[in-house]
This record gives sequence, structure tokens and C-alpha cells, in this order.
Amino acid sequence: MINNNVMLVEGNRLYLEQLSNIIRETETVTLVARFRDAKDALGQGMVFTPNIILLDADNPNIMSLLEEFHRVYPHADIICTGEKWSAESSSLYVNAGAKCFLVKPFSSEELLDAIFAFSKPAAGGKEAKVMTFFSPKGKSGKTTLIANLAMAISRKTNASVGIIDADLQFGDMAFFFNLKPQSTIVEAARDTDFLSPVSLNSYFVPVAKNVSILCGTKEPSLIDKVSIHSLETIINMARTMFQYVLIDVPAGFNPTSIAAAEMSDTTYIVTMLNGSGFEVQHIQRSMDIFTTWPDYKKRVKIILTRVEPCTITAKQQMEELIGYPVVGIIPNAYLDVATAADDGRMALDLKPNSPLSQRINYLAGRITKEKQDNDDDF
Amino acid sequence: MAEEQINGVIITFFSTASAVGKTLISINMASELAREGYSVCLADFDLQFGDIRNYLRLNPEYTITDLCDRIKADSGSSLMPMLTTYAYEGVAFQVIPNPNKLEEAYNLSPEAIIDVLKNLRMQYDYIIVDTTSMFSVLNLALLDISTIVTFLGIVDFIPTIKNMKIGNETLRTLNYDSNKIRLVLNRSDSKTHIQLKDVVSILGEDFYHILHNDFISASESIASGIPLVLNGQDSELTQELRALVARYTNKGYQTTGTQKKNSWLSKIFS
Repeated sequence: MINNNVMLVEGNRLYLEQLSNIIRETETVTLVARFRDAKDALGQGMVFTPNIILLDADNPNIMSLLEEFHRVYPHADIICTGEKWSAESSSLYVNAGAKCFLVKPFSSEELLDAIFAFSKPAAGGKEAKVMTFFSPKGKSGKTTLIANLAMAISRKTNASVGIIDADLQFGDMAFFFNLKPQSTIVEAARDTDFLSPVSLNSYFVPVAKNVSILCGTKEPSLIDKVSIHSLETIINMARTMFQYVLIDVPAGFNPTSIAAAEMSDTTYIVTMLNGSGFEVQHIQRSMDIFTTWPDYKKRVKIILTRVEPCTITAKQQMEELIGYPVVGIIPNAYLDVATAADDGRMALDLKPNSPLSQRINYLAGRITKEKQDNDDDF
Repeated sequence: MAEEQINGVIITFFSTASAVGKTLISINMASELAREGYSVCLADFDLQFGDIRNYLRLNPEYTITDLCDRIKADSGSSLMPMLTTYAYEGVAFQVIPNPNKLEEAYNLSPEAIIDVLKNLRMQYDYIIVDTTSMFSVLNLALLDISTIVTFLGIVDFIPTIKNMKIGNETLRTLNYDSNKIRLVLNRSDSKTHIQLKDVVSILGEDFYHILHNDFISASESIASGIPLVLNGQDSELTQELRALVARYTNKGYQTTGTQKKNSWLSKIFS
């Protein structure tokens, strides 16, 4: 059994006592040493052989301290602690060798999460690929797409995948996975000022080995409880927690969908072909807005759902009508999807070899391989 | 004494699930009311992605953006000359199209839009309003100013019904008179695993009116750009649409078709 010998380095006298007590109360970890002065910890701490160091990041010399601690304790995990999380400083710490960042005072659960559950940050401190799924009008099939795509990505690559249901009035993600979440995006938004990626992790509900979801609001009026600023903070934290982040947003252009799209590496315009032919106009109208981004060709991609027949010819025809490449087409699987959703399962698990699953697997392959060209294959 | 001002009826089509048929039904309601001789204005307040202009093949000179600009400049000016007319075989009504450019839609103020409606309701017997599927500031203001809100639903799969229920409950928290909100079910017999009676029990409320699924008639109408009630084909859906309009105008429109429908209904709810 591995010992979890914790050394606490905390400049604030009150925090030193408070955090010491929390660490002592936490099962499976042992507080082996504590110091107010970081220099003492560097010079004297090794006699206690700590393998976990909680380092006060509110120290003005934190960056050089991190370097020294890393040199003196090459085999210990260093967890930075501070009064407030910020994306910029946190990524500086992680790049300088810290494992993660914990907001103090933390709870025993959060400490354990930081030590154990959070033991697999995005590979090599690399940030996640963030994707927003935008649709001009509702009923685009994007909830089904996101749910299945997340599962397919994690299955293919073993990567950690986070879904954020920011469709703030009528998000269905919890329903698709048959979840009755204790915490949702509303609670996460409420608490953002006190959260770090480690503690935000507990607001996500795991649905598969490497897939977890931050569920949406339970009723429409709660939309006001999720400010754009807190949504942005959540996305920034999620970026350091997962390798892929998929965001569901309300239909149309609104502060939520715009903020999420602007923070994403890729925005997928998802539209269901329902036979009216008006979808082409809707996509073109949306593109009028997205083309104001100088790098829109790289960042904006189109996925069409309920395409029948789901063939390369159909894809090419749509590309011609729209005047923009289509990266993915998804066949009509209405009854499969409806049955799966009604049971709180997803279509992919229902019929793994169905055309729907195949097209979604193909898309997952493209996303994980990050192919740049758009029309090399079907 | 000055002439009394008469305010027309405002009927808003609202839903909390998308693609339930708000546009198709609002177009047909406007057409049927116009066919019966009323003066009718149809407003497309799905500002970003409204389809009334697409459906009716309109090429509008002015849109809601221009109307809002005009009303801000002069609240008393006549807006009627700025509306777009749709006419088919002697039946005509006016349309307020959604903005030409999406960025205009994003920047329109709900107050100005409501002022446009307040101005126009003095000129028309009926104003029919098509909306988006969410509780936005604009939609809440539209619900307030409406005489009747048609809350439209479909029975397809559980997430839709969940959203219908949440929407209906949210509407109730707004404390409108119960006969102002009318629950209408569209495409009632489309392919689904879900029973109508289960939906009624989930919602805790009966549907005010039921429209049947007639995919072929509906898509033909969209493809031709001619509303169902004007295209001369007397489908079951057409009759049900007429019956709905008759109930709204208190005219008690009766045909053998609607009588048949009533018995079908009573069977369902017995």
C-alpha cells in the first residue's frame, strides 16, 4: 500500500491550523510535516519523506518555489492551494510542475479528489479540445449527437470527456442518460468563485468510465442563475479537467451560445434536415455571423442530422447548396433514438452497428485525429 | 366624444419544444381568418430564423426592423403601408416578416416590438404571432399582450414531453386566466411509443384541441407555398384547422368532418 504522507506548507497561521485539522481528519492520508516558511520546508521537510506537498500559492514567490520544490522533491506530487482559482495562474502552476490547484479551505473529499480521482489531468498538462454544438433552431438532434459522440470519443481513445449542458432552458442531457443529478450547472455557477477544477469535478456526474456530465437547469427560470461570466469560468476549468469538452447550448444566437462558441476550438453548426428545405437558409444566415471570425474556416464546421439517404452524394449536394464543407452527416434513426432516449439510454449502446453508430464513430475518429482537410473521405 | 378605439385580438403561438408546427398552424390560422373576411396581420417573431417569409415566398420591402425604427421615431405613425401582403386567389392578409439580417434580429428591442403590436392591433381584427421555443424577454412580453396563447405540443418522445410539462408549469406560474392559455396537440397520431392519455395525465390537463398528423398534406403545402386552408384540398387536417379557428372566433363552424372528430375525441377522453 502506498502511503499518502502529506507535507503542508502554508504561510497563513490560521489556514495552517485549519488545513492541518482537515488533513488529520481525512482517512488514508497522514500529515507528516507542516511549515509556515517555505524555506524551512525545503531545507528540513525531506526527513519526513512526504510524497504529497500542499504548497501555498498565495506566496508571492510561488513560481520559483515550485521550481525548487520540484528539484528537492522530484517524486512528490505538488498540489497548489490558494484562496481563488484563476485560469491563467493555475495553468502557470501546472506548467511549472504542480499537479493541480485546490481552493482553501478545502474539504476532506476535495483533498482526496485532488490526490486520487484527479490523478489524470489532460495529457502532459495539455488543454482539452473544446467543442460547442450550435443549432440555428431547436430540434436539431444535437443532444443525441453530443451524448453519443462523447461516448464514442472516450471509447476510441480512452480520453476523459466532459459534457456541459448549457442549453439553459430546456437541456435534455440528464434525461438522455437517465440522471437525477444532485448538482447541476446552476450550483456550479453559483459556486464558481469558490471552485477549482478539482472541486468542480464533483459537480460532474459520471456516466461511463471516462465520460461525465455537468447537467443543465431543472427549470427555465433558473437560466438567470447562470451568468455568462460563471459559464466562462466553468468552461475554463473544464478545459484543464478533461481532454475533450462538448458543450450543448440553446438554439440560435444568444449570450450563452455566443460565449461558448467564442471559447471553443471548434463550433459545430448542427441542423436537422426536416424536409422543408429552409435549413439551408438557416445555416447560411448563421454562417453570415460566424464568417466575421477571421479563422472561421478552421473553427466552424457543419454537421447535418436526419440525412436520408445518408450517402456521400447527399453530403456533396448539401455542400453545394450551402456553399460550405459538411464534416459529418448522420442518418435518420428516429425510432432508435426515441426508444433509447425514452429509456434513458443512448442509441449507440442500443445498436452498435447501426448506420447511426457508424457515422458517429466516424466523426469521433475525425475529431480525435484532428484531420485538417475536409473532403478527403466520406 | 372621440371615436372609441377598438383593439384587435392577438393570438400567439408558443411552445417549449421546437418543430411542433407553430409556423404552419399560425400561417393557416391567418389564412383561414382572412378567408372568412377578417382583417389579419401575421407576425414572424422568430426573429433570427423565422420561416414565414420562406414558406409564403415573400420578398419583403420592409421588415420588423423598419417597423421598430418607425415606431421609435413616431409612435403614432401608420405602419400598415410598411407591411407585406400575401394574397392567394382573392384571399389576402398582411405579414410582418422577420429581419433580413440576423444581426438585426439580435439587436431589436422587445419594447419596440411590443409598441409595433400595440399600434397595429388598432388596425386589425386579428394579429397572429409566431414565436421561438423559449422563455425569452420578448416571448414573455408577447404572452402578456396576447388575448390568447396557443401552447402547442406534440407527442414524440419523452424529452419533448418533459419540456412541454416544464413549459406548461412555467406558464401557470405567470398567472394568466386559465382560458387565455390553450393547449393544442399537433400531429397527434405520429409514430411514437407514447400514449396520448399518458401525456394528458403528465400535463394534468386536457388538450383544448387536437390536430392529426398529416405529413403529406403539410409537406405539400410547404413545397407549394400555399396554406392548407387555401389550396382547395379538403384534407382532414384542413378541417381540423378550420374547426380550431371557428372555436377561436366563436362561430361554431360545423362540418361532418368536425362532428366525426368530436366523437373521436370523446372516445379518447371517455
